Amino acid sequence: MLRVRGLSKRFGGVVAASGIDLEVEPGEILAVIGPNGAGKSTLLNLLSGLIRPDAGEITFLGQDLTYAPPEVRTWKGLGRAFQIVQPFPEMTVRENLLVGALYGKPGTPVQTAHRVVEQVLELTGLAPKAETEAGELTLLEDKRLELARALATQPKLLLLDEVMAGLRPAEALEAVALVQRIRTSGVTVLFIEHLMPVVRALADRVVVMDYGQVIAQGSYAEVAAHPKVRQAYLGRSA
Amino acid sequence: MILVGGVLLLALLLPGLPLGEWRAFVLDTAQFAFLISGLALAWDLLARTGQLSLAHGAFFGLGAYSAALLAPGLGTLPALLLGGAVAALFSLLLGLSTLRLQGMYFAIATLAFSEVIRTLVLKAQFTGGSIGLPVQPAFAGAYPLGGYYLAVAVLAICAMVSLLLGRSRLHYAMAATRQGEAVARVLGVSVVRVKLLAFMISAFLAGLAGGVYAMKTLFLTPYDAFGLGRAVEALVIPIFGGLYTTAGPLLGGLIVVSLETWLRLRIGEGYLVVYGLILILTILFLPKGLMGLLARRKGGRHA
Repeated sequence: MLRVRGLSKRFGGVVAASGIDLEVEPGEILAVIGPNGAGKSTLLNLLSGLIRPDAGEITFLGQDLTYAPPEVRTWKGLGRAFQIVQPFPEMTVRENLLVGALYGKPGTPVQTAHRVVEQVLELTGLAPKAETEAGELTLLEDKRLELARALATQPKLLLLDEVMAGLRPAEALEAVALVQRIRTSGVTVLFIEHLMPVVRALADRVVVMDYGQVIAQGSYAEVAAHPKVRQAYLGRSA
Repeated sequence: MILVGGVLLLALLLPGLPLGEWRAFVLDTAQFAFLISGLALAWDLLARTGQLSLAHGAFFGLGAYSAALLAPGLGTLPALLLGGAVAALFSLLLGLSTLRLQGMYFAIATLAFSEVIRTLVLKAQFTGGSIGLPVQPAFAGAYPLGGYYLAVAVLAICAMVSLLLGRSRLHYAMAATRQGEAVARVLGVSVVRVKLLAFMISAFLAGLAGGVYAMKTLFLTPYDAFGLGRAVEALVIPIFGGLYTTAGPLLGGLIVVSLETWLRLRIGEGYLVVYGLILILTILFLPKGLMGLLARRKGGRHA
């Protein structure tokens, strides 16, 4: 579904991504993990078009999107939720979702957009908060809104950037259930995560990054046992 | 909506009211107030995308000069429309070159643009340079109230566009662009297109108001038509009245211009001090402008 080949990006002297190869299969939940500074967020920004790669290519559903602007990727079905939640604060929850529903697919009629918003409100449990201004939400609600807004663009593949960060364990559990519901509704998911219990609970497959490179991939158990991964997380002396 | 309709109806009926010896003065002030309100409404449309412009004095002036130069050959209405189009064209060029600038940097770039345009008009031959440019009255003076009703029409058009955009799907794209540009793009909003479209609509309306202004003052100089004061007015009025609304800039413009005129009559030179004081107090105590005050009175939402 998504194919990444040799994707590279440097910021001045820092190599943030170096020859990344990646494959996302339809219907799966893929986790990208790695120590701080491994280049995970850079990868996500490259995939959603917020930064342009120096080399490599990104193919999505058979189309080359390497240099496509962010909105075009969204139109093709590549959705994105941010780590630092950035709701439109002067809009209600419903209006926030409506932006995604109206513009996520060009030419969506207003009626259809409202229907999509209803469905997403239902799926994400935000229906009771629909008329609340986004500036007044709690952190958990903010995170849900971030997810919901990306869903409102009707993505085929959803990119999630540490959406669990800052949540209490019980809240993270709720969020895990939500991501599972999203997958069940037919959306493929690629997510970045620090919390290993969340990765274990959600991921069908795990990709490990370090120093801008993919150093291992496979099931959670395979990756956890991989010597390079232990080295990356525990240090060389281990 | 009702408020906006009421103001427009009153504007239409005003010349028929028994105003006595003050009639000419009231109509003249009202006509000016309508044009400044229209300019403020136009400015607010662009502000809805998060772009705070100091170029609206220049768009107003471009419309004024274009309409003044074209009217003798083309007639009043085509000249006014072309005046708006010239302003829109310049806004497209300015918009394309300032796309990456935000907040203060955008404002400074638009200010520089204003200065460039003013200097060009000052140095050019066909504009009359620093000597100024005499202007034909609207419809070559065939109708005494022609200019007045044109000002009412401009205000009506600006208010209609403002209301319609506030209810269209574009409203969400503009608000999203203002409140988070990167997020808006990732949600599928063509931020570049939205910004440029808002810029062109906004400049067109400002230019339209400028054209009618030219036919009202009958004489243009670069100092008057491109003065920074007008650019500041275009921004102060929506802030005073209530940003991102239609009734806010509309009522704000009428109040601010009336106040300014009244103060100028009362205390002559010192009027700017009082004017400034009132604006400072408004910004301090009415952060959402007049519209915020009205909303609070209705007991609707806490400010």
